[in-house]
Amino acid sequence: MRELLAHQRLALGALTIVFGLTGCQPDTPPAPLQNGLIYCSEGNPESFNPQLDASGTTVDATAAQLYDRLIDYDPESKRFVPALATKWQALDNGTRYRFTLRQHVAFHKTAYFTPSRTFNADDVVFSFNRWLKASHPYHDVNGGTYPFFTATGLDKLITDVERINAYTVDIKLARPDSSFLANLATDFPIILSAEYAQQQLDKGHPENIDRFPIGTGPFKFVEYRKDILIRYLRNENYWRQPPEIEQLVYSITPNANKRMLKLLTRECDVIPYPLVNELTAMSQEENIRVLSEVSPNVAFWAFNTQHPPFDDPRVRRALSHAINRAAIVQAIYFGNAQLARSILPPTSWAYTDVNASYQYDPAKARALLKEAGYANGFSMDIWAMPVQRVYNPNAQRMAELMQADLAQVGVEAHIISYEWNTFRRRLAEGEHDSVLIGWYADNADPDNFFRPLLSCAAVRTGSNRANWCNKSFDELLIKAISVNDNDARAEIYRQAQQVLREQQPLLPIAHSVRYQAQQDYIHGVKLPPYGGISFRNASKDLVKKAEDKP
Amino acid sequence: MIRYTLRRFLLFLFTLWLLTIVTFSLGFLFPEFKHSDPTVGSYLAYLSAILHGDWGVSMSTGQDVTEQLWIHLGATIELSFLAMLLSLVVAIPLGILAAMNQRSMFDRWVVSAAMTGYSIPVFWLAQLLILLFAVHYDWFAITGQITPLYDIPTRTGAVLVDVMLSDSANASLAFWDAVNHMVLPVIVLAMMPLTMLIRIMRDATLDVLDKNYIKAARARGLSELKLMRRHALPNAMQPLIRQLGLQFSVLMTNALLTEVIFNRLGIGSWLVKSIYERDYPVLQSGLLVFASFILLINLLVELYHAWRYPQVRQELYAEY
Repeated sequence: MRELLAHQRLALGALTIVFGLTGCQPDTPPAPLQNGLIYCSEGNPESFNPQLDASGTTVDATAAQLYDRLIDYDPESKRFVPALATKWQALDNGTRYRFTLRQHVAFHKTAYFTPSRTFNADDVVFSFNRWLKASHPYHDVNGGTYPFFTATGLDKLITDVERINAYTVDIKLARPDSSFLANLATDFPIILSAEYAQQQLDKGHPENIDRFPIGTGPFKFVEYRKDILIRYLRNENYWRQPPEIEQLVYSITPNANKRMLKLLTRECDVIPYPLVNELTAMSQEENIRVLSEVSPNVAFWAFNTQHPPFDDPRVRRALSHAINRAAIVQAIYFGNAQLARSILPPTSWAYTDVNASYQYDPAKARALLKEAGYANGFSMDIWAMPVQRVYNPNAQRMAELMQADLAQVGVEAHIISYEWNTFRRRLAEGEHDSVLIGWYADNADPDNFFRPLLSCAAVRTGSNRANWCNKSFDELLIKAISVNDNDARAEIYRQAQQVLREQQPLLPIAHSVRYQAQQDYIHGVKLPPYGGISFRNASKDLVKKAEDKP
Repeated sequence: MIRYTLRRFLLFLFTLWLLTIVTFSLGFLFPEFKHSDPTVGSYLAYLSAILHGDWGVSMSTGQDVTEQLWIHLGATIELSFLAMLLSLVVAIPLGILAAMNQRSMFDRWVVSAAMTGYSIPVFWLAQLLILLFAVHYDWFAITGQITPLYDIPTRTGAVLVDVMLSDSANASLAFWDAVNHMVLPVIVLAMMPLTMLIRIMRDATLDVLDKNYIKAARARGLSELKLMRRHALPNAMQPLIRQLGLQFSVLMTNALLTEVIFNRLGIGSWLVKSIYERDYPVLQSGLLVFASFILLINLLVELYHAWRYPQVRQELYAEY
């Protein structure tokens, strides 16, 4: 590092001569550099309101920076924690939730809006009704589609949002649903300012609400230049501890190579999605740290349990034992994934390790096949996705490796693939023997891994790739979402995972890892296991860094 | 001179007029962008809109094109002028020194270095400099005009001017930061004209040194320095200045690439982006302004050349 500094001074000296000007290099880093953070994001946000766009880029740019939600999810304790709501309770057998709201929460004061009041129940009613009620004056503003709420069915589940008094709100549900709170704690049900919305409506510019955003979050909006940058400033009146950094800049850099170069030249403090094949090289740079987080996804191999011989659980278990998953994870993900030990990722609070039944054991596989009457093996199809997904970067290659493993136990496998849309349509029609596919969860609730994938209802909608309908398993899932106590739910999900262990409608393969690279002087920017990135706790320590150097 | 100026100026206007026809017809080459019918009437409407400064609205950002145009042009003017300046400041002395020491080691070195520099493609040179001076040595920044944490409002687009106009408390730091961002693109951009100008300057000086009046002056006992300054240099500059317009056109072509590689604000990167995004209003006006700017510079260089070296005018009017 000493060499490097000397070079810098030399270069600066040379510059001074070339331009005939005098300048001085300060000993301490300049204040704007010390107090600001540059995040080189991978693209432009579609909107400054995550209600309208569920893409990762929009969420990373807006949700945790500009806004707050009623409740948050704490991945450490795996519990819901108060945010804009200080208390909440389920009433009427779980069909009504009463939220007590936090007082003295200020909305952003910016060049384009000065709030006259603090946050109250009107803002909650406005923010929910915008996506809930088609007749709401703001419902159709800026597109009028609310992907997260449609996908999770939240727009059907909630029947009414009622203001009880200035700091109490009731949300009524069509039926009890214990995944409701988990959905509320995602990045999407953010709270907007009803006062600002009314002001813009009066001015005749309702579209400004998502272009010049106002929220209660740790940062406030300053400017957005498409393809160049987004600039946020610290919200000095934030109801939690205001952020340490004063300025947050998103430097928009879609090219992954350029993102990496900019990290090396210290033009970026933090970059998302570094190139997977450059990770080793990057982690060897002394000033750069690479963070990783198992994201809530799973790649799996589902057996069509309505096609013989896959209706026999012994055959399914035999095939699971035949696959060397550890080798697959190494070859397909270059080690950038965790071997799945259950369908749930280990970050979930309902996770149970049921790995024993998926252990690589060809001898046991052959024994099980013999027991099921297939001593001489059989031939089958493996459908492999034609596209890359976060959970599986190369399904075709994975199928080839499995083909070799299966041959060891006497099973002849053929690899089948179609164009992606055709592939999914024919899958939904149940034409496959088995398929390599996966799932990316929307929220922290374990329900999101079970009901959409393995319930009898999902067989009908075509998202149950195993076409597996097990009455007792289904009852467990229904029981789990009608109970509210997390410990009791965890016990039910433990039982559910035991059922999966015995029945094996699918073989979980891997949970892939999401990466982020950053300078070593950046602290407090963690990769969240669920949802978007947050800079609330970010800090930058250039001074200490300078002292470290000889 | 007045006659010559008028002639050049009329030619300039005529070329501009042809350009507007080209940009107007862009609308018919691309079926997605049908702004009007290919009639004389709609062309006249287009022409009058351009003359009134109404250049339309970007389809990608929804911003007013006229406003954006000046900012992008400002950035490109700053970058290209600095690059031209750098190439002149380096090329003139090197060319003269090489000519004065013809066939010496120095001369051979300069000539072959110039030849090598001329053969290096701009994008490759840029990558090389980035890897060496930005990634390996960590001296310079490689993207944008300035570290975005310095909140300098964009007024002219020329970042050094903007920093000086701003009332930022960190203006001097911001200025140096902007200079740091500028070093690599300016060097890359200067390389092509630099190598050409060295060779032109060297050949021109050799030509002049061979002239009888130089021999006469030397015979009168003038010192070598005085000889070069009073007699050789002014005359050797003439072919160099004649070439400046052409060199500037080459430089502008490279500015397009350089702005894209270094992610700099500028008319070149703006134009390239508009092509990718099929942003026709930007594409039309960007093309028009980019071409007009090159034409204008060429016009100015020619006028200066004709004014400074009257014999040129006579060459042009063979009938006199």
